[in-house]
Amino acid sequence: MKTIKFKYLFIVIAMISLGSCSEDFVDITPKGSFLSDNYYADEAQATSALVGVYDIIRKNSGSFENMIAVMNAGSDDHYAGGGSATDGEGIQAFSKHRLTSINVLRPFWTDHYQGIFRANTLLLKLPNVAMSDNLKARFAAEAKALRAIYYFNLVRIFKNVPLLLDPLTATNMYNVEQAAPEAVYAQIEKDLLEAIAVLPTTVPVATDGGRLTKCAAQAMLGKVYLYDGKKAEAAAVLAQVNGTPRQANQYGNKLLPNYNDLWVFSNKFNAESLLEVSHTNASNADWWFWGSGMDEGNTLNVMVGVRNYSRTSGSTAADLAPGWSFDVITQDLYDAIKTDPRFGATVFDMKAIKAAGQADYVAGYQDTGYFLNKFMPRNSDKTTGGGAVEINYQQNSYIIRLADTYLMEAEALGSGARAQALLDAVRARVGLPSVPVTLAAIKNERRLELAGEGHRFFDLVRWGDAATKLADRGFVSGKDEIWPIPTSELQGTKLKQNPGYN
Amino acid sequence: MKLTKSFIFCVLSILFSIYGQAQDLPIDGKVYDENGLPIPGVSILIKGTSKATVSDFDGNYQIKAASKGTLVFSFIGYSIVEESIKGRTHIEVKLKSESQSLNEVIVVGYGSQKKSVVTGAISSVKAKDLDKVPNGRIEQSLQGRVSGVTIAASSGQPGSNSTVRVRGVTTFAGNDPLWVVDGVVVDAGGIGFLNQSDIESIEVLKDAASAAIYGTRAASGVILVTTKKGKSGKMTVNYNGFIGTSSPEKTLDLLNATQYGALINEKSVAAGGAVVFPNLAALGVGTDWQKAIFNNNATRYSHELSISGGNDVSTFYTSFGIQDQEGIVTSENSKYNKKNFRLNSTHKLSKIFTFGQTFGFAHVKSSGIDANNESNGPLISAINLDPITPLVEMNPTNAYSNPNVIRDANGNPYGISSLVGQGMVNPLAYTQIRLGAFGESNDFVGNTYLEATITKHIKARSTLGGKLGYWDSQIFTPVYYLGATYSVSKNSFSKSQNKSFAWNIENIVTYTNQFGNHNLTVLLGQGSYVDNIGGGSTSKIYGLPITNYRDASFNFDIPQSNRESSTYDLTEHKLTSLFSRINYDYKEKYLFTGIIRRDGSSRFGTNNKFGVFPSFNLGWVVTKEDFWKQNDVLNTLKIRGGYGVVGNDNIGEFRYLSLVNGGYNYSFGNQGAISSGYANLTLDNPDLRWEETSQANIGFESTFFNSLNLTVDLFKKKTSGILRYINIPGYVGVASNPAGNVANMDNKGIEVELGYKKKLGGVNLSVNGNVSYLENKVVYIASDSNYITGDAGYPTIGQVTRTQVGQSYNSFYGFKTAGIFQNQAEINSYTNTSGGLIQPNARPGDFRWVDTDGNGSIDDADKQFLGSNIPKYTFGFTLNLDYKNFDFMVFTQGAAGNKIFQGLRRLDVGDANYQTIALSRWTGEGTSNDYPRLTNNDTNGNFGKMSDFYLEKGDYLRLKLVQLGYSLPSDMISKIGASKLRMYLTAENLFTLTKYTGYDPEIGGGVFGIDKGVYPQARTFMLGVNLQF
Repeated sequence: MKTIKFKYLFIVIAMISLGSCSEDFVDITPKGSFLSDNYYADEAQATSALVGVYDIIRKNSGSFENMIAVMNAGSDDHYAGGGSATDGEGIQAFSKHRLTSINVLRPFWTDHYQGIFRANTLLLKLPNVAMSDNLKARFAAEAKALRAIYYFNLVRIFKNVPLLLDPLTATNMYNVEQAAPEAVYAQIEKDLLEAIAVLPTTVPVATDGGRLTKCAAQAMLGKVYLYDGKKAEAAAVLAQVNGTPRQANQYGNKLLPNYNDLWVFSNKFNAESLLEVSHTNASNADWWFWGSGMDEGNTLNVMVGVRNYSRTSGSTAADLAPGWSFDVITQDLYDAIKTDPRFGATVFDMKAIKAAGQADYVAGYQDTGYFLNKFMPRNSDKTTGGGAVEINYQQNSYIIRLADTYLMEAEALGSGARAQALLDAVRARVGLPSVPVTLAAIKNERRLELAGEGHRFFDLVRWGDAATKLADRGFVSGKDEIWPIPTSELQGTKLKQNPGYN
Repeated sequence: MKLTKSFIFCVLSILFSIYGQAQDLPIDGKVYDENGLPIPGVSILIKGTSKATVSDFDGNYQIKAASKGTLVFSFIGYSIVEESIKGRTHIEVKLKSESQSLNEVIVVGYGSQKKSVVTGAISSVKAKDLDKVPNGRIEQSLQGRVSGVTIAASSGQPGSNSTVRVRGVTTFAGNDPLWVVDGVVVDAGGIGFLNQSDIESIEVLKDAASAAIYGTRAASGVILVTTKKGKSGKMTVNYNGFIGTSSPEKTLDLLNATQYGALINEKSVAAGGAVVFPNLAALGVGTDWQKAIFNNNATRYSHELSISGGNDVSTFYTSFGIQDQEGIVTSENSKYNKKNFRLNSTHKLSKIFTFGQTFGFAHVKSSGIDANNESNGPLISAINLDPITPLVEMNPTNAYSNPNVIRDANGNPYGISSLVGQGMVNPLAYTQIRLGAFGESNDFVGNTYLEATITKHIKARSTLGGKLGYWDSQIFTPVYYLGATYSVSKNSFSKSQNKSFAWNIENIVTYTNQFGNHNLTVLLGQGSYVDNIGGGSTSKIYGLPITNYRDASFNFDIPQSNRESSTYDLTEHKLTSLFSRINYDYKEKYLFTGIIRRDGSSRFGTNNKFGVFPSFNLGWVVTKEDFWKQNDVLNTLKIRGGYGVVGNDNIGEFRYLSLVNGGYNYSFGNQGAISSGYANLTLDNPDLRWEETSQANIGFESTFFNSLNLTVDLFKKKTSGILRYINIPGYVGVASNPAGNVANMDNKGIEVELGYKKKLGGVNLSVNGNVSYLENKVVYIASDSNYITGDAGYPTIGQVTRTQVGQSYNSFYGFKTAGIFQNQAEINSYTNTSGGLIQPNARPGDFRWVDTDGNGSIDDADKQFLGSNIPKYTFGFTLNLDYKNFDFMVFTQGAAGNKIFQGLRRLDVGDANYQTIALSRWTGEGTSNDYPRLTNNDTNGNFGKMSDFYLEKGDYLRLKLVQLGYSLPSDMISKIGASKLRMYLTAENLFTLTKYTGYDPEIGGGVFGIDKGVYPQARTFMLGVNLQF
């Protein structure tokens, strides 16, 4: 009898475990992330989604392939530099204007589109988020302004790009075609105009510095108009940003009295800054997530630093951390800026310092002995926290500042008293006398005022000067003004390669 | 000293047995093999008692037993024979060796079957085949021993795993076969816990119709590992140990400093640059970096002790082992130590119930270097570093002023190259900074089962299995300065601890009955499986007040700002299954097996959560037919074939949904505060479904001349709906690629296994061999582009493989060279139809590229397929010779028909060293037609383009093992109570026949044959002892 009971017990156990293994057994819900279907429910989640849209703007000076380092390298003011001819394949190729669809810096394409996808997703979901309408409108304005900034970079760099205003799905993603650049510009302008109507005039710097303001969007719109050939519109909107030259504008922005103060890393969100990219050492950025969305450090600093910089004992040379010697300054820029008051702030003249026996260094690739002082990695800015020291500098970078908008408005106006006043203001700030306003004078002023800030290549292309200024760098007119579309974007899609590339 | 104790125990038990036998009949006799030769060492047990004896050197035995008793004769490698005494006092017995025995049993998953009635393509390796293989990773012990399985070590680093592919590459990701150890699923990475000498048998289920019983996870084949169980009767104690020394089988021929200087000069001048080294003679021979990293006397040892035995109620097998091995490359950073323990037992609880368990534990402590990595590590550094930089700088200059340079014992800094940079740094200095890095793992794998024999025909069994793994690592990184871009100015110490747990419950009921000549077995089963339960954490502190790794501790008071930690949880993976198998045969002549399994997986959305996988196999034993006349030529012949479908859910979790993940952060304000940003990781694919692999198999098993076994299988495998992350256009704007069912792929092949046994005079000869032929072809790719890249890349060159319809998976893809332009006239005559030059920028000494598409210029469209990385042929041969007390074994193994990408020289590091083949470069008309000129301005892309220049044949034949053993005569060792004392000398990887110019043609990994400086297999000599009581 006993064994028979055992027998039944056995069968019962088997039946129970059979029952327990029903179909819900294999249903698992994710933990640690959310399902897109029920995300974007409340203000907190919408805020997180908005932060995700901002994340991409850090590309200006964060990660190895950042906008400033790379765009500098392609101009006549800098060489790529670095450790060797192959240190950073993309930046080297752009510096020599030898980009191909394979070595092209793909993140310049993909990162911006990630920002656009996130903006599109947020804009799609916002109507159903449980939060105040005012805040919704502001979030939408920020998302649109950021989308505009990302498209502006895309259209300037690649020119022929798909214009996507809704998130793609697995079913329609291959049916996309490139839009006419005019259509992209029109959308950028539309987005910015819509944003300007809603964005706040100021934000509390301590907590919200870096978020978009009406002024920042206006400044961007003025710049976009200028690139779009709409000079009158550019001058009009930039006039609102600039106000009376040498005085504070309607939002309180004015030129800093001391040019050098623009490059003090702790001088974040200063009065001259209209839109800047925020960096901090608080993310303890480490190599394994360098360049990802979790890396909040400035990478530009270490890139432009002097290779193996070491001071001799008792040296009075600047207390710098060593770097990777990218974006070395060309003799051409050196000669142009040599006698300018902005020389010291712009050029770190390692050649002279070494000659004076104050410090030594190792010559990197394309070494000229001149480094970009605006972004030198400084020991005073070295992180004391965790992560890799090299990638945790906290200097912010400007996307647009008042001196830039002064000169753009002057350029849009071309001549006249206001143009003269704007040009004079920029020169007077550094103690230079007035020169008659001409396009040549404005061009020269832009070059010296904004040297090393990533604008020069775009300026040259916009002015039609690239072919002459970059002839000795391998620049081919009609081709190298824009980059090739990365190979990955052409595979299985309807996209067409840019002219001159294969 | 466990040995002594067990020895005393043995002696005592023998004494007791003698005492107990006083009333019995004295019996003597002799044990022979099938050739009539005496077998020494045969265990003779009186059934139902623990009384036993062993046959002596001449096969003779004496024992006292009751006249109505039964004697059980057993010996490893032979079938057990039971003889009823029936009053006899002299009993002679002939033992049949198992491999020839038709009663050999094969494990088939949830049971076992007589080999003679098995209908599937199952290859089997038994304990006796593994006996002579030095204890190591289990994959390595399978290599070359079974057909249809391609195995390539990922690296020669001690303890490193191997890439195992059953019947080719089945899918695009997750091609590891399913490992099932005593019924517990163990992931491919985790089977390192197994101790080779604990293994009773390994069965490889190759055809879908056999593997279908494992349903969802069986697409890439199933490998069943069964560990040893105790046998009732005399207790056996077995010790096996060896010591050995390892050295590299080969080193590369690299340029010395003078040769190097000359080539660098030539390169520079050719591009219009200056002479870099004006005084070549002063450079001398320079540094031999390889000599600095290779250890010619890396030690290795292994000790294994097992005890097994039992009685009618309980049996047990337990073992302890330790293995220790130093790597041949920078041994301080590359070593492996494993300690393992096993206990298996079975217990008869009552007439009906039997309880059993298996349990294995392994503790591993190891440290390793990058084993096949072009960016880092001692191997790639030794190959690429210039020979001019000294190993140790005796006259340090300013360049060494950095306080963090690493110094040798005498305080001199290790040389720092100013010519070759990036990750290629002085390997001796690198070794110093890696001293504080090691990993540890603890794995527990076991199961318990309860079996009930409910009636004569019905058996039920419930099994609970589990695997618990812990793996930790810790790294102390000192401050160091190894080069301009390779330095750390703040030390750090990190520790990570990880855990994962998996369990499964299976309930099966088996019904077996015979109806006249009809034999029927029906199995019904249910299983629930959960794995990936666990998580881990890493903590890291910076700025420890110490310099030596030995002092590293988390107890230092480090400020919070210098502490980091990260923690993660694993996501569970669950399966629920119902399965059934029917085995039917008529007179063991007509055979049928049918399997059906239904699996539900947590990895799919509601649309496709469940999959059903059916299969069948048929067999016909021709030689059992009445019309078949018994003859001495063809003794047995079984023809079998079948078809089945299995699945694959190996795609990671939640791929059917779009997740919103964090980590897209931004910092607002000037206080350094970071806001968390969230974004969609990828796009949805709710229709994601099971990947299916269907396979047809046909084959035969035969025996000729009573001595030659021949098994041949032909298969065709078709994988459809291959799961893969789709490389989507970047403009979609998601950070991670979505998964899809994107491709179909075919594999077909032929497998031949051969066994031969013969006695020639006093010599026992046995030969085993296997050869497999495999063809892999992608037949469909869903994306519009018809091809996929992205699996194997190399700096500067980009992707070196491409997966495209009509080609083998991940075939090499690039430009084809057609010799070298010897002079300008040849360049000028290489014209297109309109008379223009095809390569207008070429110079004499540059490659002539084949204009594949004939469009008159060289562009990406001229790339073509240049060969497959998958070996077409794999083979292994074993020869065993026994003569008197000597035994000799040779085992060779190899692969052929594949190409290897030889990427040992870093192209993007302009001044990296060269192999001496560069000395035969093109230097002028007629000097070379296959190695182009050297220049710093390689506009033709001689080195910068992926081309057949980088591909070499991967064919090799390796003398994997040679072993010579000597067993002491049993009359001598019986004095110490031993039944076996054998000493042996083994050579592993003695030499390799290959034309490949890298270290080692055996290169595993996700894509085979990508050599970025693979850690080569070591040549090892071992001296060992095997002692049995």
